[in-house]
Amino acid sequence: VSAAAAAPLDLSVRLGPIRLEHPLLDASGTFDLLEYARRYDGDYFADFPYAAYVPKTVTVDARTGNPPPRVTETPAGMINAIGLENPGIDAWIAGLPGWARLRQPVIVSVGGNEPAQYAAAVAVLEAHLAVADPGTVPPIEGYELNVSCPNVSSGLQIGADPGATAAVVAACRGLTRRFVLAKLTPNVADITAAARAAVEAGADGLSLVNTFKAMVLDRETLRPFLGNRTGGLCGPAIKPIALRMVAEVAQALPGVPIVGMGGVMTGLDALEFIACGATAVAVGAANFTAFEAPQRIVGELRDELSARDLASPEAARGLALKA
Amino acid sequence: MSGPAPQDRHDHSQWAESSHCRVAGVRHFGAFAALELIAPKVAAKASPGQFVMVAVPGGGHLLRRPLSLFTVRADRIGLLVEARGAGSERLARLEVGESVTVAGPLGSAFPTAGVTNALLVGGGIGCAPLQCVADELTAAGAHVTAAFGFRDFRAARVAGAFSIERLWVATEDGSVGRAGTVLHILATLDVPPGTTVYACGPTPMIAAVQHWTLAEGLAGYASLEAHMACGTGSCHGCVVDTARGKLRVCSEGPVFALDEVRP
Repeated sequence: VSAAAAAPLDLSVRLGPIRLEHPLLDASGTFDLLEYARRYDGDYFADFPYAAYVPKTVTVDARTGNPPPRVTETPAGMINAIGLENPGIDAWIAGLPGWARLRQPVIVSVGGNEPAQYAAAVAVLEAHLAVADPGTVPPIEGYELNVSCPNVSSGLQIGADPGATAAVVAACRGLTRRFVLAKLTPNVADITAAARAAVEAGADGLSLVNTFKAMVLDRETLRPFLGNRTGGLCGPAIKPIALRMVAEVAQALPGVPIVGMGGVMTGLDALEFIACGATAVAVGAANFTAFEAPQRIVGELRDELSARDLASPEAARGLALKA
Repeated sequence: MSGPAPQDRHDHSQWAESSHCRVAGVRHFGAFAALELIAPKVAAKASPGQFVMVAVPGGGHLLRRPLSLFTVRADRIGLLVEARGAGSERLARLEVGESVTVAGPLGSAFPTAGVTNALLVGGGIGCAPLQCVADELTAAGAHVTAAFGFRDFRAARVAGAFSIERLWVATEDGSVGRAGTVLHILATLDVPPGTTVYACGPTPMIAAVQHWTLAEGLAGYASLEAHMACGTGSCHGCVVDTARGKLRVCSEGPVFALDEVRP
């Protein structure tokens, strides 16, 4: 028995300035706090399982999203093309009192089709937070800039272009003192180029990866199944690629906090992302598999650390990067 | 217009925590299986029209499958499964004694308060929730008539799973019951004014029933089908167009006022 086994297991981590009770948060768009709360017998705010809450992406204007069908299962995963359906930043802000009593830090996912749209959403929210009664807003401590939208000028995902990614980060950086994550798309040849561009433009940390652009056919008609033709692949099928990308970014940019994600279904999956250099880990598709998935994964992560005599997530971070 | 107004609908209890439920009974009707699960926690909260998310055993399927409550009797729930893909084929092959993980009840329910005459209109697997509403209405003393449409005699075999006193069946190939769709049955029925319509089935059927009820001056409810991922309001994968904008079948639905859906 090593000395570490006797030490109490501390799951807490620091994501930049944000203290997290444990490393797990929800991946944007996969977990709606209020929808969980109204299907729970107890007080979901008291029992909130994630260490931080990342709500569904909000854009400056309301979006109705893509035509159906929007989702379907794939081997070891699923594909979605929701299209950033959201009520727009003003209606989103109007809803904040409904979940203001959340104790955990909130990281607001912001989307758009050009830098000015991201900046407008951040500016409107910052203006509100500057004057809002603290009892009417949850503890918003950061932003996650979702650069996976198509760029209005190029039609490509903003995140596929390091220059466009940098422009989005730069447009928002000066508007807030809160923690800013850039959420990178994996649909690139070299994810470290976009990562570097985001950090040089002022991002405090990086979330990766978003979904992989993919297509599923209707097996009867042999036409694209999704209303949007293509969608984003997620789930266990993408985990090995996501781990590789997290490891590449962690090695290229040591010291930059990473929120790793992509097919995390178990505590061991989460530990693998930490071993590849992630500070925190987001759970996405697993939220669709069971209401209790977050609690289960947190418990499993604790067990996996303990079984390896690792006293904290920090002790496991980067283990896969060592020569 | 008649029947309970949409604003009279109350928010039915939803419960998303998972229960491990033992299969207590299985009856097969061609490609359909009627499953009976011992699910006291789900049954205690369930209302007609609501659904459950069922995990496909064996680990090969990421997403759970949404299934309407077919029956709710004491501590048991009934589900009707149509084997259409690999996941539903596995569920249709469940055997007595196996267990499945179930979350629910989920979604909105069919309002039944104050209804004295009800017409249930179903198409294919969409007939499933209508047994549940028939049971509740019959117990409350309402006069219930059902019209079910199926593609052919194979699909129509599932009609044998139902226990509704006045049940009319149509098949598109004319092999069982009336030849044609449920609309051909509706045209022959003497429907009293004030009858409440309960419809569930494929989108073209919902559109036709909506058109027919408007022409007849009737009101009612439609339960919609959609491809779902989470089943609990988070992913926005199952939205449909309605008079109130895009709404989630799993969360605001599956039951909507018939005149607000835009099939």
